[in-house]
Amino acid sequence: MSEPSIFFSDVNERQGVFVRRTFLLGGLTGAGLMALGGRLLHLQVLEAQRYDKLADSNQFNYRLRPPPRGLILDRNGVVLASNRPNFRLLVAPDEDMDINKTLDELYQLVPLDTSKRGRLYREIKDSPRRAPVSVMEDMTWEEFSRINVRAPELPGVTADMGEVRVYPYGGAFAHVIGYVAKVNDRDVKAAGPNPDPILYHPGFRVGRQGVEKAFDAELRGKPGAQKVEVDARGREVRQDPDGDIPSIPGKEIRLTLDADIQNRALEVMGEESGAVVMMDCRSGDLLCMASTPSFDANRFVRGLTGPEYRALSEYERKPLLDKALSATFPPGSTFKTMTAMAALEKGIDPNKTYVCNGAWYWGGRTWHCDAHHGVQNMHDAIKTSCDVFFYQTALAVGPDFLASVARRFGLGETFDIGIPGQKKGLVPDTAYKKRNFRKDPVWHPGETPSFGIGQGYLHLNPLQLCVMTARIANGKKALNPRLVKSIGGQELPSGAAVPDLPFAPEHIQFVRAAMAAVTESGTAAAVGDLGLGPIKMAGKTGTAQAHSYGSGPRATLHLGWELRDHAWFIAFAPYDDPRYAISVLVQHGGWGASAAAPRAREVMRVALLKDPDVLKRITQPLPPVEPAAPAAPPPAQTTT
Amino acid sequence: MSTTALTRPGERDRPVIKFGQIDWTLCLALTLIASAGGLMLFSVAGSSWSPWAAKHFIRYAACFVLMIGLAMCDLRVWFAMAYPVYAVGLLLLVAVELVGDVSMGAQRWLQLGPVRIQPSEIMKVGVVMALARYYHAMSPASARMSWRLLIPGAMIMIPVGLVAKQPDLGTSLLILFTGVVIMILAGLSWRIIAAGAAAVGAIAPLMYFFVLHDYQRKRIDVLFNPEADPSGAGYHILQSKIALGSGGLLGKGYGLGSQSQLNFLPEKQTDFIFATLAEEFGFAGCFSILFLYGAVIFMALRIASTSHSHFGRLGAAGVTATFALYVLINGAMVMGMAPVVGVPMPLLSYGGTVMLTVMIGFGLVQAVRVHRYSEVTSGKGALL
Repeated sequence: MSEPSIFFSDVNERQGVFVRRTFLLGGLTGAGLMALGGRLLHLQVLEAQRYDKLADSNQFNYRLRPPPRGLILDRNGVVLASNRPNFRLLVAPDEDMDINKTLDELYQLVPLDTSKRGRLYREIKDSPRRAPVSVMEDMTWEEFSRINVRAPELPGVTADMGEVRVYPYGGAFAHVIGYVAKVNDRDVKAAGPNPDPILYHPGFRVGRQGVEKAFDAELRGKPGAQKVEVDARGREVRQDPDGDIPSIPGKEIRLTLDADIQNRALEVMGEESGAVVMMDCRSGDLLCMASTPSFDANRFVRGLTGPEYRALSEYERKPLLDKALSATFPPGSTFKTMTAMAALEKGIDPNKTYVCNGAWYWGGRTWHCDAHHGVQNMHDAIKTSCDVFFYQTALAVGPDFLASVARRFGLGETFDIGIPGQKKGLVPDTAYKKRNFRKDPVWHPGETPSFGIGQGYLHLNPLQLCVMTARIANGKKALNPRLVKSIGGQELPSGAAVPDLPFAPEHIQFVRAAMAAVTESGTAAAVGDLGLGPIKMAGKTGTAQAHSYGSGPRATLHLGWELRDHAWFIAFAPYDDPRYAISVLVQHGGWGASAAAPRAREVMRVALLKDPDVLKRITQPLPPVEPAAPAAPPPAQTTT
Repeated sequence: MSTTALTRPGERDRPVIKFGQIDWTLCLALTLIASAGGLMLFSVAGSSWSPWAAKHFIRYAACFVLMIGLAMCDLRVWFAMAYPVYAVGLLLLVAVELVGDVSMGAQRWLQLGPVRIQPSEIMKVGVVMALARYYHAMSPASARMSWRLLIPGAMIMIPVGLVAKQPDLGTSLLILFTGVVIMILAGLSWRIIAAGAAAVGAIAPLMYFFVLHDYQRKRIDVLFNPEADPSGAGYHILQSKIALGSGGLLGKGYGLGSQSQLNFLPEKQTDFIFATLAEEFGFAGCFSILFLYGAVIFMALRIASTSHSHFGRLGAAGVTATFALYVLINGAMVMGMAPVVGVPMPLLSYGGTVMLTVMIGFGLVQAVRVHRYSEVTSGKGALL
């Protein structure tokens, strides 16, 4: 390369230019550094607090913790629904998780159902970012600790301790209390546009039926939060117990039910299909409301498998149906109390007699009775449950008046007991026919006799019959049933704070006396003796046709189960000081006297023996023994 | 030793004397910066020497030795090597275009036997040396304004174009800026400078709309409004600003930065190491580091201006300009004042190639200092 000659002046000139411009460069660089420093001053000193907050909200997360669900107790404080600890295995997916690999490892550590794997995979894959999915519930302590030891090597996998609902009596209260289940899409949708984030928590449950559903808001409580430090991926790094927000437990709900009575009811019903409802006929408190056969609510909490659910729903005795509230049946002869009541109110003389020859010819057809009762007045007709008497009495009363009296006793009505599912049933009258029968809107006289003996269009639920019995037993007040005694210590209004029945007390007393005769010497004489000394029970049997016999005999027990009569018994006790009223239905059970009445007696005995006042009357102290007369004969144990 | 000793012929070429002439204050400043980097890397790894801190210190030690070695090389050797280094760099850039590894969507690496090299890094020093050599032999008049300026212009634009095509916009801009700075320092006419600035001002908007990739455009957009896309394109800037701001005056304490320790900060060990430092040591720490960078730049520019040879002056100044640009661009990026481009903080960030380039550059600066009285091409003194 040819080098141009450079002269000293040139050298000096370019050195001068270089030095000047380097000075400029240095100045510019310095200015740049100053600008950076100024920016730092702005960010780190003037706006430090703002960024400090932002860093904190990056760093700390609040993890919701579901509150303990409120307990459900019976009237004596016996726990009917509580919570027990539950070791859960959770997987919180993040974007770089190999779900299959994680599941492989988990299947080696804990016994997971291989058939559920596909579902688990989809649940984890579809879960919103960082929302943990419950892979396994109810791990043993060994499994729980095994997962905890391995958790550091399994990103996204955690084992935690939550709570799960438990029903100590299994099926006994299943229809009343209901159960809880996982939150589904419909629950989230129902919660409106801004659903409570606790709904997405894998440990959270919502009430599905009965008290659990109706009082879900009260039982739920307020979720707390756990303060945790997280990294940029949302993984938990550390916990900060000082920053936790405690959860507020759900309110305790106390029912009026009595666990002993309810359990006894379930026992005596055995495999029969039916319902037992008992009320305190002074306060209106429901002491027992059982429907059988029942189902184990704890299995619903865990989640039923397909076959389990099918077995329950396809069984002909319908365990899932609450027969105390949601099913209605013809009340049969138990309704004769109402026919008698209506007749008395109408001014018909109770001493007017009809002759029963086992059948009555009227309107061109034969109306059967189950026996030749002979000459019957109203008292005897209730005692013997004579159909012939009541066919004719009903005709004399007329359907509309009979219906209005029956409604006053609570039939065909629904009551505000807090839980949903009551079926109204039907107490027919001429208006009903006009409304519902377009082609034949007229009430024919021939329809009245059936109505008078509790058949025909009439159908009711066991709760209504119990309310009716309680109102008869109370004799004064139009008692309302109450199921929920208190919520979180706040007492609910009593069922006795109601107006009086608009009937003459002596008329009600007449029906009560006739019911006492039923158990003394009438259709239910076999169960008349409670075995409790002076305590007597009054009642009324009912045998309601479940299908038309035509002109054949009512030999009910030879028929297939679904064709047999429904057996009813209503009763109250003690007769002289009514405290408890009961209605028992044995669906397709045959005769009311043999299928329902003995069961009512057993349940009634439990209630009476639990009542301290009644107990005092039964177990009167022995008379003082004369020291001078050791050979005296043993005194009678009880006196009236 | 006395100054008279140095006036004896040949005395200045003795290794012991040369060693003593190395600017040890500059060495100290560089070491302090690198050590701060090592400390931060230890912290962001969760108080662990691996995977970054130990390697960082070992690399720095090796590079330091290399720098001292290069400082002892006669400036005439540097001068002689200028064109060959540039030529080799250019060849490798072409090679990487043909057979380079694709990493992060860009062809930047070349596998040569056991070594993976980034030819664009070699070019950073190569362009400085070649330009310095070319201007060394140029008259001030031609350096100011003449057709001959097309040659240094081409020397800059060829590697810039090749690197930009990889695509590595950050490095190509760095090379471009460095080249322009050298041209200006060499005496470019203010008229050309003004015209160039005007042209850039006119072309920049066109570049934005027609040349930049989508992701690059987005990076510029979020600069003005990072909150618009806080988890996407704005994430880097936003998290970095949070790290800086939450550091406050004195920082959260060593190893206690939540932004970096919990991985909110992206690229925390490389491009955003400064944000980590800012979070854990606050304004005090940041200011100290910026002061050290300022000191290094000041010392290096003083060395450049005291050199007796034009090659030495432009070489040292060119290296310093590259270094300063690194610092300013990275600083502005971390503080949310410049778009996110892959430019690390020199010596502070983890990364071997950049450290090697920077330390080779300072090898040249130190060599210029050691040989500041020697003229490289006054006929007889020329080695080659």
